[in-house]
Amino acid sequence: MTAAPASSVQWPELLGNSLIALEPLEGTSGRLRFRAADAERVFRAVHDAGFHHLTLVGGIDWVDHREVIYTLWSDERKSYLFLSTDLPADHPSIATATKVWPSANWHEREAWEMVDIHFDGHPDLRHLLMPDGYEFHPLLRSFKLHEPEDLEVKVRHV
Amino acid sequence: MAGDAAVPFVEIEALRSREFIPAAKEALSSMIAEQGQSKLIRPVFNWAGRNSLFPLHWGLACCAIEFAAAFGARWDAERFGVVPRSSPRQCDLMIVNGTVTWKVAHKLITLYEQMPEPKWVIAMGNCATGGGPFRTAYSVVPGVDKLVPVDVYIAGCPPRPEAMLDGILRLEDLIRLRKE
Repeated sequence: MTAAPASSVQWPELLGNSLIALEPLEGTSGRLRFRAADAERVFRAVHDAGFHHLTLVGGIDWVDHREVIYTLWSDERKSYLFLSTDLPADHPSIATATKVWPSANWHEREAWEMVDIHFDGHPDLRHLLMPDGYEFHPLLRSFKLHEPEDLEVKVRHV
Repeated sequence: MAGDAAVPFVEIEALRSREFIPAAKEALSSMIAEQGQSKLIRPVFNWAGRNSLFPLHWGLACCAIEFAAAFGARWDAERFGVVPRSSPRQCDLMIVNGTVTWKVAHKLITLYEQMPEPKWVIAMGNCATGGGPFRTAYSVVPGVDKLVPVDVYIAGCPPRPEAMLDGILRLEDLIRLRKE
């Protein structure tokens, strides 16, 4: 006996005007675009709708804006749900999801490190894959690959 | 030739084991005091050092698989006196076998500094030699010689165990020529 899949949830009623767009829920999965300012409320509502497992938090640099994507899985509904939201490129900041899904901790650290998305309220926002003090965000489109001659810059961060 | 040593050098081998170490110590120290870093003593230390190279037992990436295979039954690196040790305090050889990232760079330097002198470094494989295919990547050190002095470079991606053993034999040649 399982609950209905994600496509049967009444997302517009659940999320109100935090919901920007609801893309067609094919099969058992779906994609929601929500307003970044209401992130905490959306996270809580989605969690209470049965999506208890956060698989991935990813950041994308679209040059003119940044995007954050949350991949969720519900064991009760046996379906995936993708949340996404757009952030301005000059101040990419969103509330942390760690209060709702503790597994967001390292994913958000990586997204901050790689594409410079700041997660407000994160308990431990420091480097994950690069050494402490590394001051670049290497997966931004504006990042230039280092030539070995630029080594002097990087050695200081060791 | 041992000067006024308590036990003549030539008779040391005939001593019982309990007496051997103090007698050898006294004989050697009197020889060193007499001759300094002489042409006589240095080859003995070089001979001992190059026949008992103890590499640090740590692996960074896929070259570590070849490193491990070299100590298996087929290639058996221990016949050259090469025995991997788990503590840097017991090592005189660091084989950097894999991609060195900036995250691990200062740990590598710490391990190198924990090894007692004299010590040597072998850069095994293309990544350790020059960064390999990740040379311009944001996370990879383009060659471990940017961090620690390297004595022997081994090419290959990864090098076969024969190549690793050849690198160790080249290092033994270097140690044989060591003067200071």
